[in-house]
Amino acid sequence: MDVFLTSPWIPAEWIRAHGLQPRGIWSAENFQRGALPLSAGVCAFAEAAVRFAEVQTDSAVIFSTACDQLRRGFDAAILHGQRRAFLFNLPATWQTAAAGQIFRSELERLGQFLLAIGGRAPTPEMLRQEMQQSSRTRKCLLESAPASSPRGFAEAVARFHWDGAFSPPPPAVPANQIPLALVGGPFLAPHWKLLDEIEAAGGRVVLNATETGERSLSPAFEFATDTNPFDVLVHGYCDNIVDVFQRPNTRLYSWLKPRLASRQVRGIALWHFTGCDLWRAEAQTLRETFGLPVLLLEAGGEPGNAPRELTRLQAFVETLK
Amino acid sequence: MNTAPRKLNLDEWDDRYEQLRRDGLRESGYGGPLRRHVVREKDFRLQQLQFDNSPAALRLWNFLLTENERLHQARANGDKIVGTMKDLGTVPVMVYALPGLRAFYPDGAWWTPCLMECSDKLLQQAEAMGIDASFCPVRAMLPAFENGEHFPKPDLLICSTGAVCDDFSAIAQRLEHLGHSIFWWEIPRRREPGPGESACVLPGNLTAPKIQVDCVRTELQRVGEALGELAGKTLDDDCLAAGIRAANQVRRLLDSLRRTVYAAPAAPLPALEMLVAEMLAIHFCSDREETIAVLDGLLAEVQTRIRQNQFVIRADAVRIFWVNPVADLRAMNLLEELGGRICGSDYMFTHALDLIPENLPPLEALARTALADPMVGPTADRAARIVRECQAGRAEAVVVSRIPGASHCAREGEIIREIVRQNIGIPTIELEIPPVCDAMLPNLGSRLQALVETARARRTK
Repeated sequence: MDVFLTSPWIPAEWIRAHGLQPRGIWSAENFQRGALPLSAGVCAFAEAAVRFAEVQTDSAVIFSTACDQLRRGFDAAILHGQRRAFLFNLPATWQTAAAGQIFRSELERLGQFLLAIGGRAPTPEMLRQEMQQSSRTRKCLLESAPASSPRGFAEAVARFHWDGAFSPPPPAVPANQIPLALVGGPFLAPHWKLLDEIEAAGGRVVLNATETGERSLSPAFEFATDTNPFDVLVHGYCDNIVDVFQRPNTRLYSWLKPRLASRQVRGIALWHFTGCDLWRAEAQTLRETFGLPVLLLEAGGEPGNAPRELTRLQAFVETLK
Repeated sequence: MNTAPRKLNLDEWDDRYEQLRRDGLRESGYGGPLRRHVVREKDFRLQQLQFDNSPAALRLWNFLLTENERLHQARANGDKIVGTMKDLGTVPVMVYALPGLRAFYPDGAWWTPCLMECSDKLLQQAEAMGIDASFCPVRAMLPAFENGEHFPKPDLLICSTGAVCDDFSAIAQRLEHLGHSIFWWEIPRRREPGPGESACVLPGNLTAPKIQVDCVRTELQRVGEALGELAGKTLDDDCLAAGIRAANQVRRLLDSLRRTVYAAPAAPLPALEMLVAEMLAIHFCSDREETIAVLDGLLAEVQTRIRQNQFVIRADAVRIFWVNPVADLRAMNLLEELGGRICGSDYMFTHALDLIPENLPPLEALARTALADPMVGPTADRAARIVRECQAGRAEAVVVSRIPGASHCAREGEIIREIVRQNIGIPTIELEIPPVCDAMLPNLGSRLQALVETARARRTK
């Protein structure tokens, strides 16, 4: 059975160890296929997740509490009768034992849910194998990131979140382009064309720090002799989440800083869905912290990129030349 | 001198105040004519509002409108000021359990643009600080922190995070980036206990898994330690239990006031004053003892009016249940002008109205109260309470008031309305009310009027 995840911070390894197939919801072909009629303030990603969940009959959807929109989106999905939906409570804080405890107990609860929908109880060895496999793939992807074609890298990460496989991304074609970072929320397949548009405009995304890009590969596992893989899994995720919803969200800035510097980024495109307060609010802080120009790029209810956003992007790259 | 209850505009209150003074009105230290808030504080919105004409209402308004002044005075007197953000009702109980500490909600700055009719330019300044009009008016607190022209800079700033509004969380994070250190504590999204899972009963007929209560208790323990350090005194169980008893005194008074007003054959107190009175529950408007006195006065006034069969709103007014606080206070007047009255409310802090259990260890009781917050649980739980209270208050219609830019409003209104329709079938409407709604009054008025007429027409069926 497919289990669709709305966040890269919900451990796919745990689902796979239960004999079920984790899938990044953003990689699903039928996710946000058409234009979504949105009520005022509703995030298109959350709405797409709700609509996707509502029509699933033989798979499950795991929502997360990373944002208000997804949290309440889960409420809407449940109200409309979806029973194979689960809300994973991702703690916003990360500097306390309580945060780790929440994460651990949510994983245990998710395990119960997975058993209830047909999963099998995982053995420590199965879990360890899944974690080692995903670690290897993450490592390969992270190593390839700086020199990969932006689009190829986005596709390779999406593939990892879809079936756990590693498909080597093609290398970037060197050219005298403006190095940019793409920072923000989920960056879906229909939006990938934007990466080509950036190249056509004379720029290149050298750091894909969206929720579905390089940043999503930050979980890391440290196995020691006799350690329980479940403990390693909890820490591997909990200690390495890098996201805007965390409070304080200093880990996001600590993660960005060396990468922006080493890849000589000259501008940041801040990618967010309409209604996403968490990312929108960071624009000024990103400018102040890194001293780089920041362009807000907004994804709405239409699949793909709005012409207005492309024009803004082209102008942004032009100003950096 | 006995004066029939009615609503007055600010000009009429000038005369009324003089008359009361001549008749020997005795006021608290923060008392005075309402007009002075326009002159001194530029609270221009008062000129557009209708107020209850009782001395008890005068005291309520003066109490509300002098909060910043009283906070500055408290600071000058050596008190430590604690800014508590987002949890709406729990941490202040802890703060007031310690001597020399005062809590307030910087979130309350969201009403400043309304009161000052945006003359303060706080919203524009927030935009210049990176938080534009796509965010809730609570963004006004950002420049208020920076310019120091409103509330004093807190000695300690505490904010709940986790299952909270994204816009508030984002604004608070921006505040921290600007150099205002924040003590974050986690409030997880409340859920139903699973099969076989150890469960706890919460206020408001709710339940939560013990593991969540334990988590919040641990977090509140951290908060208590920080407060104790600030106060120079440990926040022990005895202190906290006394603080809970005092908070419950406020909550009991409010409960009596709400029951008396909402159940009365006609409204003995206007909706606007009831909204303000309910707001006192969350942090006692920075003075717990005075809150008790203010509420005592209001309750006595209401009881007298009911005994004398005197009301401010006609008995045939349509009974409305109101969901969410309004960014513009004028909206509450408008509802009554159009033939409605409030018979129940959920202004986002019902957990601050319910009694805190006194038969539990104090931190455990507060953890359970914090988890009963309607905004941290499933929207369906909030809707279920609304349905129950609509039934108890014989509501004929529900208004879900949207807060512009608030992340929770994007979806919760639809869910609440659907559940209300399914369960009790009364008409509902959703309205967005900006901080100054004058430009939208024709539209808001038409929509409210349609609701009132629809509800009234159902009476004859």
